[in-house]
Amino acid sequence: MKGKEESMKKRIAITVSLAMITSVLGVSASSFGAVTAKSNAPKVTITVLGADYGSGPSNTTSKYWLNIAKGFMKLYPNVTVKTSTINWNDYNTKVTAQIQNKNYPDILQGEFFPQYVSDGLLYPLSKVLSNPGAGSPVFKSSFSVNNVQYAMPFVTSARAMFYNKKLFAQAKISAPPTTWAQLLTDAKAIAKLGKIGYSLPLGPEEAQAESYLWMLGSGGGWQNAQGKYTINSAANLKAFAFLKQLVASGATNPNPATWNRTADSAKAFANGQVGMEFNGPFLTATIASAGVLKTSDYATAAIPGAAGPVIKTLGVADAIQVFKSSAAKLPWIKKFMDYATNNANQLAFAHEYALLPGTVSALNSLKNDPILGSFVKALPHTVLFPSSANWTSSVLPAIKIQIGTAVTGNASAVLGQLQTLATGG
Amino acid sequence: MNEDSETSAPQAMVRNSQRVTNVPKKNLIRRMEPIYWLGPAFLLIAGVVIMPVAFMVWTSFRNIDTVGFDHGFAGLASYRNLFALPDLRPVIIRTIVWLISVVSATMLIALPLAVLLNRQFPGRRAVRMALVAPWATSVFMTAIIFRWMLQPQSGLINIVGHALGLLHNIGLTSAQADWLGRPQSAFVWMIIVAIFVSLPFTTYTLLAGMQAIPGDIYEAAKVDGASAWRSFRAITMPLLKPAAVVALLINLMNVFNSFPIIWEMTRGGPGDQTATSTVFMYQLKSSSIPMAAAMSVVNFVVVAVIVIMFLRFSNWKERTI
Repeated sequence: MKGKEESMKKRIAITVSLAMITSVLGVSASSFGAVTAKSNAPKVTITVLGADYGSGPSNTTSKYWLNIAKGFMKLYPNVTVKTSTINWNDYNTKVTAQIQNKNYPDILQGEFFPQYVSDGLLYPLSKVLSNPGAGSPVFKSSFSVNNVQYAMPFVTSARAMFYNKKLFAQAKISAPPTTWAQLLTDAKAIAKLGKIGYSLPLGPEEAQAESYLWMLGSGGGWQNAQGKYTINSAANLKAFAFLKQLVASGATNPNPATWNRTADSAKAFANGQVGMEFNGPFLTATIASAGVLKTSDYATAAIPGAAGPVIKTLGVADAIQVFKSSAAKLPWIKKFMDYATNNANQLAFAHEYALLPGTVSALNSLKNDPILGSFVKALPHTVLFPSSANWTSSVLPAIKIQIGTAVTGNASAVLGQLQTLATGG
Repeated sequence: MNEDSETSAPQAMVRNSQRVTNVPKKNLIRRMEPIYWLGPAFLLIAGVVIMPVAFMVWTSFRNIDTVGFDHGFAGLASYRNLFALPDLRPVIIRTIVWLISVVSATMLIALPLAVLLNRQFPGRRAVRMALVAPWATSVFMTAIIFRWMLQPQSGLINIVGHALGLLHNIGLTSAQADWLGRPQSAFVWMIIVAIFVSLPFTTYTLLAGMQAIPGDIYEAAKVDGASAWRSFRAITMPLLKPAAVVALLINLMNVFNSFPIIWEMTRGGPGDQTATSTVFMYQLKSSSIPMAAAMSVVNFVVVAVIVIMFLRFSNWKERTI
């Protein structure tokens, strides 16, 4: 133990001295840059890898990043910003493959990987943002390791239940359900119309969010208050037992394990094929672009739970994090981070995809927005995904692949296997 | 015979190397000549085959996190974890079903096709060209096209099936039309695609084998009054055996390693319920690199066994002909 402590101290000392060196170098580089910005500033290339929030080539996030890159390169002609995006369906696979091959981007937007911190790959946020506290404080602990914040919430959202008012009227349902039992009855009534009563996207894209919302309904979750995994807890099994019943009743889409949130579920809702589904504000953008439903044709309600509505819904934040590179590059990356997360860029993103921004100032400016306002207000009252080191690195990928099979197969075996993986190290 | 020349070669080399000091330089260079010729090929094999294999085996014994950092030696832990996975057994069984059904169906369909293409008939050239198409097309593309054709709402197979009355209802709420969402039906469709993709190579190998059989044997059989069926059984079948075994073994390897069809059509899902051991290995990689490496080692052993069978067979062919 003592030896360990000593080596820890040594390591801290080394990190501190390294930090001093880098900051000294950083300062000198940036002052150098400021003085000679136009003449002979060093040539720097910054690579940005982000997730794609678009539904197709017309609104791909590559365009958003290209715009930011162009704007930034105009200000700082010595910097070349290279951007690329990855579809959410393949995000984990592709990012993991790239990182495993030690091909690190400078800036990674999307999932926050605490494992990168343990492996010493990331800069703390205080080094790469002029105002490290710019991001919403709701997600501070999720994006911190040992109380040091390593990622900023770049885009956030809260979840609610969307329901199709037209189909509800056709099925003679007067109010959205607040309990699981009501949801089952209502979903069956809508299924009789030849539509999907409740759309259950447990495909790999975001199975973790869909299953979490159901777990919350019976008082369960991925972890308990102490941060210990409880994937196969009785409460979670209760949620999956209900889902199994819901799927068997024929009131959902036929095969939840291959049904993805964006490509299948959101699209089907936007085309008027779905009675109810849990989703985020971005669904409104999909609905608008499909042009089938009017704003008055659908509404949102609280997520139903086993006995009553879920009070704390799920809040999700996608991160932006910076990989360590050279001290000479750091000041330019910091400038870029400040630029990319300024209000104009944050709000442009929010409006493009009907998502919530990540910074406090951008969030505040949307409080009275007709579509996003209610989600902004819900954000502080949310529960979050686990922030354990192995969550994004090994548990999440396995959940995405496996958990959908729990509603057709043996739920306790599937959840038990995930629990073993999560706690087995 | 072979063995004699094999054993004498190294002896000759030993004798030569003992005399190396007395040999003029020119001779030494000439005797080294095979190295120049074989060297590049050997380096290529060492770099592209042997090194990755060694690295894979090494990886399976390390404790490597998903970010790619090595935390030291882990012994057999990854193998123990792999064999403890409840999903491994179904994956192995599925791989065997996949291998046997695809390869046997391919062989059974390719044989009559090859017989047909060996006959003179109008439009033969066109048919032969058409048969090349699935081979010439990227397997990945074929898989995507099949996935689209199986789309529940507007896939061609579903629309045609519905029009013919084979499918009662199609669309998003139809479980029947969602072929790739149900593991059993998805697996059957993937087997069909795999057969479709394997047919051209197999047919052409068998066709080449048939064309290598001298025509005068058939003529002699005809003179002796043999029926077409008899000459097929007594001449074509036995003389086709070398080509057939080559086609069989190469198919076994290809089908075992087949990744794009399954990955593109279902990603091995739902869950890992349509994954073969090759796809399963890739799925494992996202949550554990060493376990995926251990799975690779197991897969590698299986392929190695097939390759050894192949090599032994080609040896046997040389000896008999």
